[in-house]
Amino acid sequence: MDRRAIFFLGAAAAAALLIPATEEGLRWVPIWVAVIYVVLAVASWLDWRSSHR
Amino acid sequence: MENLALVAVVAIALAFDFTNGFHDAANSIATVVATRVLTPRLAVVWAAAFNFIAFLILKTHVAAAIAKDVVHSDVLSIGVVFAGLLGAIAWNLVTYYLGLPSSSSHALVGGMVGAGVAKAGLSAVISDGLSKIAVFIVLSPLIGLALAFIFMVVILQISARVHNVELLNRGFRKLQLVSAAAYSLGHGGNDAQKTMGLIFALLIATHKISANAGVPLWVVLAAHTAIAAGTLTGGWRVVHTLGSRITRLQPHGGVAAESAAAATIFFVTAHGIPVSTTHTITGSIVGVGSIQRLSAVRWGVAGRVVWAWILTIPGAALVAAASYGLLKVF
Repeated sequence: MDRRAIFFLGAAAAAALLIPATEEGLRWVPIWVAVIYVVLAVASWLDWRSSHR
Repeated sequence: MENLALVAVVAIALAFDFTNGFHDAANSIATVVATRVLTPRLAVVWAAAFNFIAFLILKTHVAAAIAKDVVHSDVLSIGVVFAGLLGAIAWNLVTYYLGLPSSSSHALVGGMVGAGVAKAGLSAVISDGLSKIAVFIVLSPLIGLALAFIFMVVILQISARVHNVELLNRGFRKLQLVSAAAYSLGHGGNDAQKTMGLIFALLIATHKISANAGVPLWVVLAAHTAIAAGTLTGGWRVVHTLGSRITRLQPHGGVAAESAAAATIFFVTAHGIPVSTTHTITGSIVGVGSIQRLSAVRWGVAGRVVWAWILTIPGAALVAAASYGLLKVF
C-alpha cells in the first residue's frame, strides 16, 4: 500500500473541499492544487508499484 | 487623551511585530541552520536584513486586507485593536514558552475577530474577508508542500546527472543563501504588513487618514524595523523544532523548502492574503521529507504543530474578547 499516494489524495480532497468556499477570482487556486495532488498521487503510486515488482 | 492612547496602541502593535520577529521570523532561518549553511548568528542577521528590505519589493495589499477585510471599519476603535493585540500577544507568548511554532498571523486575526465580536456581536466580522483568510490557512501549507515536492523531484533528476557530489553540495549550499533570502523577503513582506494593517486601521478609526489613502511610509518603515529587530533577538526553540525535529534536511532539501515557501508567500502577498509563514515553511519541509518516504516526516511533531494552529484563532479570540470586556469595565 502506497501511503504517500493516499496522503496526496487526502490533500487533493482537502483542496477540492475548499473550492466552493473560495472567492470566484481565486477559485482556480484550489482547483489547480487539487489537480496537482491527484497527479502527484498517481505518480507516487506508479513509482511505488515499479519498486515493488 | 485620544492621541496618547493612539500612540500607546501603535507602540503595542510594534511590540507585537517584534514578538512576531522572535516567534515566527526565526522560521526563516530554520532550514539554513539545520543544513549548517550558516551559523545561527549569521543566519539571523541574514534573515533580518531581508525582512527589512521587503518593503522595497512587495506592495501593501496585505496591510489593506487586515485593516479593511477582517472587521468592519465602523466597529474598529482604539479599544478593539488594543484588545485584539492583547489576545494575539498573550497567545504568542504562551506558544513561545511551550516551544510551539504556532501562527502569529492567525493569533492576530483571531484577536481582532474576538475583540470585534465582543464589541458589536457577530455582525462585526466581514465573513468574505475572513473566509478568504481561512481558505488560505489550509491552502498555503498545501501549496508549499506540493511545490517543495516538485522542486525536489527536479533537483534530484538534475543531481543524478552530476557525478561530483562535493561540487553539487557546494552549489546547493550557495543556492540556499539565495532561497533563504527569498523566503525572508516573503516573510518580511507578509508578516510585517499585518502590523502595518493594524496601525493603518487605527489611523482610519481615529480619522487621522482617509480609508482611501495608502499606508503611510513611516508605518511601513516602523513595521519592518520592528520585525527585523525581533528576528535579530532570535527564537531558538522554534528554530530547533522546525529545522531538525520535523525532518532532517540536506542543502538541496533546504533550497527546495525555502524556494517553495517563498514562491507561495510571494503569490499570496501579491493577492493581499495574510497567511502564516510558519504554516507555509512547515508544509514545504514536510514536502521535502516526503520525497523519500512518509516515515521521514516525524508526524508526532508535525501533529503537535497542527494542534497549535487549530487552537490559535479561537484561543486568541477568547483572550481578546475577555480583554475587551475588562477594558469596558475599567
